[in-house]
Amino acid sequence: MTEALERNIQKWWITIKVSWVKHTAYRMNFFLQMIGPALVFFFVKYNLWSSIYSADKSMIIKGFNFEQMINYHTWAFIVGMVAQGHGSWNLSDDIRMGRISSYLIYPFNFWEFHTASWLSFQCIQIGIASFTLVCVAAAGVLQLPSLEVMTMGVAYTLFISLFWFTMQYFTGVLAFWLEETWILRVMLNIITYFLSGAIIPLDLYPKWIVDILNYTPFPYLTYYPIKIFMGQGSHITQGFFIILFWTIVFAFLNHRIWKKGIRLYTAAGM
Amino acid sequence: MKHYLSVYKKFVSTSISVETSFRTSFILLIIMDLFFFLSTVASVTFIYDHVSMIGPWQKDQLLFFLSFMLMIDNLHMMIFSQSFWEFSNHLKTGQLDYIILKPMSTIFSVFFRHFRASSLFNTPLFLGSLIYYGLKVDLAPTQWCLIPFLLILGLSLLVVIEFILSTSMFWLTDGIGINFLRMQMQQLARWPSFIYQGVIRKVLMTALPILLIGSAPVNFLFDSSHWPLLAGMILCLVVFSILLNFVWSRGLKRYDSASS
Repeated sequence: MTEALERNIQKWWITIKVSWVKHTAYRMNFFLQMIGPALVFFFVKYNLWSSIYSADKSMIIKGFNFEQMINYHTWAFIVGMVAQGHGSWNLSDDIRMGRISSYLIYPFNFWEFHTASWLSFQCIQIGIASFTLVCVAAAGVLQLPSLEVMTMGVAYTLFISLFWFTMQYFTGVLAFWLEETWILRVMLNIITYFLSGAIIPLDLYPKWIVDILNYTPFPYLTYYPIKIFMGQGSHITQGFFIILFWTIVFAFLNHRIWKKGIRLYTAAGM
Repeated sequence: MKHYLSVYKKFVSTSISVETSFRTSFILLIIMDLFFFLSTVASVTFIYDHVSMIGPWQKDQLLFFLSFMLMIDNLHMMIFSQSFWEFSNHLKTGQLDYIILKPMSTIFSVFFRHFRASSLFNTPLFLGSLIYYGLKVDLAPTQWCLIPFLLILGLSLLVVIEFILSTSMFWLTDGIGINFLRMQMQQLARWPSFIYQGVIRKVLMTALPILLIGSAPVNFLFDSSHWPLLAGMILCLVVFSILLNFVWSRGLKRYDSASS
């Protein structure tokens, strides 16, 4: 029993290491694909809000002065990088190109391989996010919260990243039926950016929209984690249970879809 | 020209046949564009619920600018977008061999090959938005007549810059990152030039003139005294077209065909 567990851990560890090498093999591509979009998104928002507040430096918009607005978007950048950085590109490609045939004979499941790959990706993202955080704090753009708040924020963000992974996995396994799953992923990103408060804080949205959104997982993906980091944590327990509920739903769906999809699988190219 | 038009007609018809054979993807693409439009317009509207001006512009002016840029995006998605992604794949797999062997301009056969018909379904929405906000900002009849030309001019500058950027894929092992860079460039251009300041703004107005794509035509429409911006845009288009021919031929010489 212990020996079997040790062997399994060894498989996970080696897969994580292999994935790390794969992710970092083309460093420029990794930067342009994973970090670049978030960086440009932040840059645009920084300039936009600078332009808005330049009319009146003391202006307060829905409780945000200029510094707080920039703080909000800096945290959005960090949270987005850790929680929503992962995409299931390889997963759907594996299905479409017929590469999952090898997983069917490996002593390591398809989901285990992709979860290990996600873990290695997360390690890289956490490293980059930490470095960014240190840089922006050193530049005086952001004030770091207390250790307690920081720990809670990081734990919550990592929990969200698990939910994001199950959702990405869901769009990936739909490749059994869909020719192009990137459309679903992009659509998911557009909806999430807009409804989670990544583009503008949800405080600026009409109240009736926010009231509805609070019953969906979206505000808990960006808006509430940022609020935790900014020391204004609320809805933490509610958010935890909503995200937990949706993670279980997607994990269940992923399991069912895989079981159904594998019966349709024709092993293209074999 | 007639020959190229007849070839392009074939490109369009084969693209439509391929795209409509995957109906779910076709419908999802339409919905995706719709979400993008709604989220962009709603975000700006929500900001204007709390401020009266962004830079020198009021809500309707900024939404007109945004509609102008979204219309360019729509045309770009329809005519060029897919070809950029296919180009990076073709370079990697060596499929480009069969494309550059065709007896026509290689730029034409690479970048005009794939037409995305699904974007055509959303064109009335983008066009409607442009007309609606055009009416709100009280455009004169002559200004309305200029809009189609300015759209073509903006789209031309955008794609020429993107063609040049894509040429760098010839020197890279995997060019997919360049496509993401292209998309980030579009994101920067989607906002008016006045939100950017200092050196960045100067660079994005001259060396890499992506801010001219929307800001030059719209500023000219609002106030014709901004004609130097438009003249600068035309000049950039000419200079970058010459540069494109030069770097493209260098790129083709660099191409070592992965399949042979």
